[in-house]
Amino acid sequence: MRFDKPRHFRQSMSWLHTWAGLVLGWLLFAVFVTGTLAFFRNEITTWMQPELHSARDDGHGLERAVAVLERKAPDAQQWSINLQGPRSPVMNLSWREAPAAGERRSAGRRGEEGGDADSGLEPPGGPAGRGEGHRAQDMQREGRGDRPEGARAEGMQREGRGAGGRAEGGRGEGMQREGMRADNAPRQEAHTGGERGPGSARPQRGGEGREMAMAAPQAEPAQAEARQQGGQQAQNRLIMDPATGEILQPRQTAGGNFLYRFHFELYGMDRLTGRWIVGIATMFMFVAIISGVIVHRNIFKDFFTFRPGKGKRSWLDAHNATGVLALPFHVVITFSGLLLLGFQLMPAAVLTAYDGDTRAMAQEMRGRGNANAPLPRPSGEKAALTPLAPLVAEAEREWPMQGVGAITITNPGDARATIEIRQARTEGLSSRGAARRMVFDGVTGEVLERPPVAESSAASSAWNLMTALHMGRFASSLPRWLLFASGVLGSLMVASGLAMWVIARQKDREALGRTPRGHRLVEVLNVAAVSGLLIAIAAYFWGNRLLPADLAERNLWEIRVFFSVWALAALHAIVRKYKAAWVEQLTLAGVLAMLLPVLNGASGGVHLGHSLGAGQLQVACFDACALVLGALLMFAARKVSLHVPRAKPGTKSRPAGASKAKKAEAVDELAAGLPVALKTEEA
Amino acid sequence: MSTSTHFVFFADHRPWLNVSLRSVMALFGGYGLASMVAATLAVGLPLPRPDAVMTAIMLAFLVHMLAALWVFGAATLTRAAAGLAMPAALLGLWLWLLPVGATA
Repeated sequence: MRFDKPRHFRQSMSWLHTWAGLVLGWLLFAVFVTGTLAFFRNEITTWMQPELHSARDDGHGLERAVAVLERKAPDAQQWSINLQGPRSPVMNLSWREAPAAGERRSAGRRGEEGGDADSGLEPPGGPAGRGEGHRAQDMQREGRGDRPEGARAEGMQREGRGAGGRAEGGRGEGMQREGMRADNAPRQEAHTGGERGPGSARPQRGGEGREMAMAAPQAEPAQAEARQQGGQQAQNRLIMDPATGEILQPRQTAGGNFLYRFHFELYGMDRLTGRWIVGIATMFMFVAIISGVIVHRNIFKDFFTFRPGKGKRSWLDAHNATGVLALPFHVVITFSGLLLLGFQLMPAAVLTAYDGDTRAMAQEMRGRGNANAPLPRPSGEKAALTPLAPLVAEAEREWPMQGVGAITITNPGDARATIEIRQARTEGLSSRGAARRMVFDGVTGEVLERPPVAESSAASSAWNLMTALHMGRFASSLPRWLLFASGVLGSLMVASGLAMWVIARQKDREALGRTPRGHRLVEVLNVAAVSGLLIAIAAYFWGNRLLPADLAERNLWEIRVFFSVWALAALHAIVRKYKAAWVEQLTLAGVLAMLLPVLNGASGGVHLGHSLGAGQLQVACFDACALVLGALLMFAARKVSLHVPRAKPGTKSRPAGASKAKKAEAVDELAAGLPVALKTEEA
Repeated sequence: MSTSTHFVFFADHRPWLNVSLRSVMALFGGYGLASMVAATLAVGLPLPRPDAVMTAIMLAFLVHMLAALWVFGAATLTRAAAGLAMPAALLGLWLWLLPVGATA
């Protein structure tokens, strides 16, 4: 099709669909795959720390947690306990030392600042949390090394990041927040962090904290640095087996967090640059999806059409089916991806409305949430802490669906102690960021308050609905698996689209008798980006187990394994022929994935036979998924190897004089399902 | 679909230039129009400020997507450009006419 000739609207859309999908399609595939895995990033991190696999829950973890905290941090100002749950087998304990006399004020102030910075910009319902100081501290704690980046300098202080160049994988959400801040953009996705926590700022923080802690157990020295740099109080954390009270020392790992961060800011570049690149790719995806819908007008009919074993037709059907089956997911995930980066990608709105002052916007939005009360001061009188279990039981009765995610105890051991309990997940889709809380008196155990969740306006509800679906923070197991499955379909859609570009031009190459350079480039990129990425991800998990557990910068080495293997796969794709490269790489990816459960059992993890029986579902599901996906990859490899391009006698052949370009276009349009009449008209 | 000979530009007849210009218009013109939408609606919508900003950003992304479809769907380059320029000009006028206080 040529734009200098008259043409039908749908032909234009078909062209647009093809090229908008192709030019950044390889990147989009990587974003889709890693983003899909990120739905289970906590579980992936758990798998990658076999030291945690045998932790279990006997229902008395809370008492043990309090005992540990009393032993380790008797004078702390605040204790936090993130409970074990369906997404994590361990309890995460952390505490915040009481500030020295002169420091209290400034710590408080700083905390508040952290508060605006984050919470406000959480557009909808506003931040539910009040303990802003806590938040700022978390950030600080999270900071264990990262690449030094000029753009971030501003946030440094809050963040208290350790020395540069380390702990890449474990980059904290704090940094993300900070990045946004440096950029002066609202921290829309400050909360993209801790999946595990409910929507509100704090619980999430808890979730992040967990991840951080898990990712870098050897964070001590860095923490010391952070303390020095930031001049703030230290925050300490421990991971505890709920059933034994044992403090676990998991290995350092980049974990699921690396995949999660890669999916929206890539790696090895300034994070804002990465976000711009992913944002632009997302816009291409959005255009490709909508133009695809326009082209495939007979969307429902197409959906029920599958013609296996028919070469290009089958690919087209597969592309349509995967596209249409999860079409609402694709549209929402793409659009909400734009929204999540929206304040950065579309700064014009904040520019006119707030003179570009995102802090001002943060503050205004925060005004809608709960006021941030200062932490209550201790009375100085000693008093025993009330047992936590009955309070948690009461909260569980209040929120039977969401459950309890985290507990914060302020001024433990003091007569003015308070205990705050937060939901494990948010309640509705439209109230992202608004997990409910209950506050109890720490001595008597009476309910002091049930802070209301701020109402969302129509605009913020719409926004929240989108972004909440993207992040799945509301999701219990079933919706999470549905999101995961939709992500897999999306990945298949992108991959089949890429493969189709090559297949649709088969006849050109036959007519030409060789493969033009552009086609070869697409072939190589297809193999490297699709099967190469899958091998790299599998290798990343292998690296997690094969690298020595006490290796310095272990998380960085895991990431190096990932990228080195990906580069090798790309080389292989260059050296080998297209079909051979596909078969070999898909086979390798399948074998690597299918052997992961074996590796897990052999390298300190809980193997599948045991994890299923013992209810270690996070680990068991990872292994089962690896088996199933690996088997599917092997199946795909077999199908490709058996595939013989069909000579098609009797298919309508173009006049001999037709240009090669025209043939490719014709095939494209056929692929797009355009009526033959249109094509002849064009000819 | 015949194009009116009136507004056909020489670049309309050069396939590569045609496609390149359309791509540039879709990427940068589309972004420009979307930014105008974001900038104007953020202050022009009769909503509380944060809501107006969120609505503006959501609509801006939709507009960018539609602008890309328009640019590649339009019969001629002139029409494609006009379809971006006219709404942008109207939005600019609206933004200019808004009382100064509204942007504070």
